[in-house]
Amino acid sequence: MNWFIRPFLDNPFLQRSLLAGVLVAISCSIAGTFVVLRGLAFLGDALAHGVLPGVAGALLIGVPGILGAAVGAAVMITGVNLVTSRSRLSSDTAIGLLFVGMLGLGVMMVSRSDSFTGDIVGILFGEILGVSRSDLVQQAIAALVIAVIARVFARPLLLLSFDPEQADIAGWPARRFELLMLVMVTICVVMSFQTVGTLLVFGMLLAPAGCGALLARRVPAMMLWGAAIGSLSVYVGLLISYHFNLAAGASVVVVAVTIFFVIFVVQAIAQALNQRHVPVVVG
Amino acid sequence: MNASTFIARLSVPLLGLGLVACGSDRTSASSTRPQIVVTYSVLGSVVKDVVGTEADVKVLMPNGANPHEWSPSAKDVESLLNADLVIDNGLGLEGNLQDPLNEAKSNGVRVFTVADHVTVRKVKAGEGADTNDPDQAPGADDPHLWMDPLTMKQWIGALVSAMKEVGIDSASSGARVESDLDTLNADVESIVGSIPAERRKLVTGHESMGYFAERYHFQLIGAIVPSITSQAEPSAGELAALTEKIRQAGVPAIFAEIGTPQATVGAIAGDTGTKVVELSTHNLPADGTYRSFVVNIATTIADALR
Repeated sequence: MNWFIRPFLDNPFLQRSLLAGVLVAISCSIAGTFVVLRGLAFLGDALAHGVLPGVAGALLIGVPGILGAAVGAAVMITGVNLVTSRSRLSSDTAIGLLFVGMLGLGVMMVSRSDSFTGDIVGILFGEILGVSRSDLVQQAIAALVIAVIARVFARPLLLLSFDPEQADIAGWPARRFELLMLVMVTICVVMSFQTVGTLLVFGMLLAPAGCGALLARRVPAMMLWGAAIGSLSVYVGLLISYHFNLAAGASVVVVAVTIFFVIFVVQAIAQALNQRHVPVVVG
Repeated sequence: MNASTFIARLSVPLLGLGLVACGSDRTSASSTRPQIVVTYSVLGSVVKDVVGTEADVKVLMPNGANPHEWSPSAKDVESLLNADLVIDNGLGLEGNLQDPLNEAKSNGVRVFTVADHVTVRKVKAGEGADTNDPDQAPGADDPHLWMDPLTMKQWIGALVSAMKEVGIDSASSGARVESDLDTLNADVESIVGSIPAERRKLVTGHESMGYFAERYHFQLIGAIVPSITSQAEPSAGELAALTEKIRQAGVPAIFAEIGTPQATVGAIAGDTGTKVVELSTHNLPADGTYRSFVVNIATTIADALR
């Protein structure tokens, strides 16, 4: 039992890591469920990396990284919208272009700056072991805001996830609510990058929500599964990082992705064994 | 960044190839003065003192850049290949410059590696470096040799000889630099002399203070990134162990450096009730001299630990 609890009891910094990780898991499972259902994964990935030049620029001129991340995300979303609405190019071309462009710009900014305080490794992988109390408050507010948005706009968001045409007919323009989904993803990315990094926030956005989509049929249940599996990944990841001296942020995401594939394989085997082809439904 | 450096960085591989092809032209440089290229700014400041006005000294890494992460531009590679003498630290400090350096050597450029002329410190057991990594396990070479004035003195004589081979007579300035380094060593001893023995304990951003600690009798407690490069990411286990060591040893301060994860340092300092102090272990102070660099480090440490 000591092996599982002691590290957290002995180290206040690990308690904060765990709590911050759980809050990230909650925000990410709510926003991530829409990302998974609506097929926005590529845009989510692009957003997570698109904030890099924003963060780098903010740190260079000495303003909080979060502001820069928000600007980076806004540029990204506006750019994608502009290219898709004003040209015949599909959105994945626009996303891909802005994705590499913004990532490259971020790396360029970091590579030429003298004494860069938050180097690129820190931005990409975050500092889950360096969570302060104010970070926790910030993270909790983000989780709350995302949960409130999801609750208030539950019906249009759900309809959009499964049947965009129905949403349009029901008077909820698909484009507008897709933008709202992106806003949720952006809040998630912007508030979580300091903890798990821009690279890993994307893993937390997809893997637990993906598990939820495998395990449940109703959206609220998917989100609950996602939050639970995300939190479990944080706990197990930190434990692995503690006992085997491995990088913490990466351990968390690898655990989350591993859980996804375990569930996936178990379900595939169960389906193969079960001739009647009844999917495993929980919740 | 301006457009020309951007283009320069894009064209590194191309230019490298081009210069290999016409490597024999390198002596026809426009300037007739000997061209000396130093990889790292702290070494560069000492080399400039030795060379004086006898040659042009170009330092590749901009002051303040983290040598563990910096990578060269096309222009940097060009100046390496055209140099009459290249001075590098060695022991893996110039990680991203190794290929161009090898290329320069195979083109016949003289390369003077500082680490070949000093007593290289070995990483010792209990210093907290990653024991699974052969480059950092106890017994591995520590590249941070500029942290001790007397280690820096060891290679001056060899540098003077190497200079002679490219036609620069620096015997007298070399001797002056050597005696200046002796004086500097005495000054550092008196600065840190005010720190009681039981408070001479160092916790740093990464394992950079080994030479300094050995010379001036400090104990290395550990590092936030327990590695001789600053590039690794700390694990929860290592940080927990470090927190425990800091508490047990009663360390008064944690020294943050270039590349130290700031939030992590803050969290550890908060949990252990220590203060975070910035230490410039990899960049020269405003006047650009090695003397101020070392005095600055010694004073910062003395003020924090006294």
